[in-house]
Amino acid sequence: MEKNNRDNQQSRLRAFLDGDTFKALLPLIGFVVIIVVLNIMTNGRILTPKKLRLLLSSIYAPTIVATGVFFVMTLGSIDFTEGSTLGVASLVVSALSFTSIPLAILGGILCGAAIGAINGFFHVKFKLQSFIVTICTMYLFRGVCAYFTTETAVPASAAIKALDINGLKIGITVAVLLVAWFLFRFTRIGNDVKAVGSGETAARFSGVHTDRVKFLAFVCAGALTGLAAFVNVIKVGSITATAGNQLETQILISLVLGGLPITGGAKVRFSNIVVGTLMYAVLNSGLAILGYDPQTQQLIKGVIFLIFVALTIDRKALKVIK
Amino acid sequence: MDKKTLLVAEHIDKRFGSTHAVNDVSLNIAAGEVRALIGENGSGKSTFCQMLCGIYTIGGGKFTLDGQELHIKNQVEANDAGISIIVQEMGTLSGLTVAENIYLGHEDPFVHMGVKDTRAMNREAQKLLDDYGFGRIKAGAMIDRYNFEDRKLVEIVKATYMKPKILVIDETTTALSQNGRLELYKIMDAVRADGRSVIFISHDLGEVLTHSNTVSILRDGEYIDTVNAADVTEDDLKRLMVGREIGSAYYRTDYGTPVSGEVVLSVKGVSVPGEITDVSFDLHRGEILGFGGLSECGMHEVGKAIFGASWDRTGSVTLADGTAVNDIPTAIKHSIAYTSKDRDNESIIINESIRNNVVLPSIDDLANHGLLSGRKLTRFAKEHADQMQTKMQGVSQFVSDLSGGNKQKVVLARWLGKGSDILVLDSPTRGIDVKVKQAIYALMADMQKQGRSIIMISEEIPELLGMADRILVMKDGRINGEFLRDPALSEEDLIAKMV
Repeated sequence: MEKNNRDNQQSRLRAFLDGDTFKALLPLIGFVVIIVVLNIMTNGRILTPKKLRLLLSSIYAPTIVATGVFFVMTLGSIDFTEGSTLGVASLVVSALSFTSIPLAILGGILCGAAIGAINGFFHVKFKLQSFIVTICTMYLFRGVCAYFTTETAVPASAAIKALDINGLKIGITVAVLLVAWFLFRFTRIGNDVKAVGSGETAARFSGVHTDRVKFLAFVCAGALTGLAAFVNVIKVGSITATAGNQLETQILISLVLGGLPITGGAKVRFSNIVVGTLMYAVLNSGLAILGYDPQTQQLIKGVIFLIFVALTIDRKALKVIK
Repeated sequence: MDKKTLLVAEHIDKRFGSTHAVNDVSLNIAAGEVRALIGENGSGKSTFCQMLCGIYTIGGGKFTLDGQELHIKNQVEANDAGISIIVQEMGTLSGLTVAENIYLGHEDPFVHMGVKDTRAMNREAQKLLDDYGFGRIKAGAMIDRYNFEDRKLVEIVKATYMKPKILVIDETTTALSQNGRLELYKIMDAVRADGRSVIFISHDLGEVLTHSNTVSILRDGEYIDTVNAADVTEDDLKRLMVGREIGSAYYRTDYGTPVSGEVVLSVKGVSVPGEITDVSFDLHRGEILGFGGLSECGMHEVGKAIFGASWDRTGSVTLADGTAVNDIPTAIKHSIAYTSKDRDNESIIINESIRNNVVLPSIDDLANHGLLSGRKLTRFAKEHADQMQTKMQGVSQFVSDLSGGNKQKVVLARWLGKGSDILVLDSPTRGIDVKVKQAIYALMADMQKQGRSIIMISEEIPELLGMADRILVMKDGRINGEFLRDPALSEEDLIAKMV
């Protein structure tokens, strides 16, 4: 009798864990839990105004990048090039910043878009899986970045460093989010990327230009990473070989923490971007305040990431990442 | 027949993704029986046998051999349990010798202290080959030296030397010349005489009737019937394979209604490598044009070719106004609709809401200067889903929750919403119950009255006879016959052109 009861409870718990409501709420629950736990563990030190300012300053570039990658991951694809793209685009921005700031911004965006176009081209035309393509190009552009920074760090102009104003960075980030949200919500772009993510063949048979959509998503991810490079240069002032190192995993983890199903498709929500990047930043700063060394921090992040993927993945839509 | 039952299959089931390859198949095989298993391609006969032989895991149900339930995980275990298979494709491994192939997975008797005694293995293998009368094949030689037919003979030895209780022969005869076939028949007779059984899969119905005792028919994964080979003709078997729908009250009843001479779509010299060759026809305003044939005759590809969905199509598909249709967006823009036989993959996005499925082809029409209004999309989807009487909780419900019939209603709702004038419906009533079928036939008749044109591709002959103004029958990728609507037209007339 008691056993029966327990079985019953277990199966109900199982059903709840597999249910859509739980999956939709999980990021928010997780966010609250992480804040509360870290706050207790640090005796409230993560919520001081100073720490919050620091935390905010660390999320502008990742949020901009995550917005682009959001479209790629909605397709059910993946992009591992953000880190190296940010590195290379930061070099371009730094070099051009001596000539003109608007030119530097444009250069960064175009450089990122070009890398995205290369990814998209190989993914679409040669029908290679996106994670294979982008792992290859990740190494390629990491190499390019290293080539220009081996001797010394590449400095940016003083003019660009003078732009390190919170208002500007917030403005750019919010503008990117608003434009992307608008496109995702009120134009056919959102419908098209979700349709490809949910079922590419059926989307093609419904008149969606699937190849074009996929290509443009990668270009968009690249271009936004290029824009983020500008924000990055403002902040750091000079580019070293490690610029943007591991940004790709940070973005991937952020979006998944934000509740984005790794299979993409109909169940993605735009809020995944914001919730995810905030959560990652809180987690990151909390772990740093607690005084864990970087290796332990990585380990803890890895464990949390695994748990989240296991809980949020849509088993019904399970398939290989394109 | 009062023979002892050797093999019992109960409720055997298998799905590959959304394809129901084997659907609740139950059958008994008696000891000393050659049981033929027939059905069209994709009817599930190979999948059924491959589950029996441990190549696929059993999706549902159970096999009982000689009173013992089988729990087989791979082919070696199947051999140990007394089941072996000769497969359709190449079943021998390159890079091994003939003897190594024969004893693959059963090397233990030749292994002493971890060392294989090659000479003993070759000697035993050669003895077997000689006994079978295949002495010209040398046990110690690499298998690659021999041609396809000889390699099949090696496979036969491999599958039968341990005297299995059940021998499965999966379309092996197509690879064999007359001599090879005779060898195989001899072995089948020997197994039968020995009180063991053979499951014999073949497309050659003549061979089936002369060499088997009983014949079981599968269609679309479902068990249809088992008949005595002595009581039936090849035509009976064909009819059972192709399928017959009983009762036809819901089809059109009009005959002799003239069809407009106005051509709305002209298909000229269309070929798709490996699928269809030189297909040409005209579609008229208000016409229901049927396409019939066996599953693999190429008619399904014709639908895709018209819709611009084939990658490597040659020839032309032209609308009345001269527009060439070469890709899907052009087809949709110029009022062509398409529903696929593979509904779950090609017609509809399973993991998406009804709303987003219905609006997808019409999304540009619904946008106002490129902007979409969620409320407008919902209203549009609801209107057309309701028009099709789709059973749903609301348009935000996911399509994956719906039954086959309701999914098809969603597919049709989207094209109703788009207002397409030319509808290419591939197997529109496949896997759909009678009531929904009726609704779909009524819809087709309505659309015809409105002057829309329909191409109906169907594997169900009664449906073609009942609905089409004109029927094109395909065989081996070509149009093989044309029939006009006529009450005197019979299934046999069509089947004669199909096989």
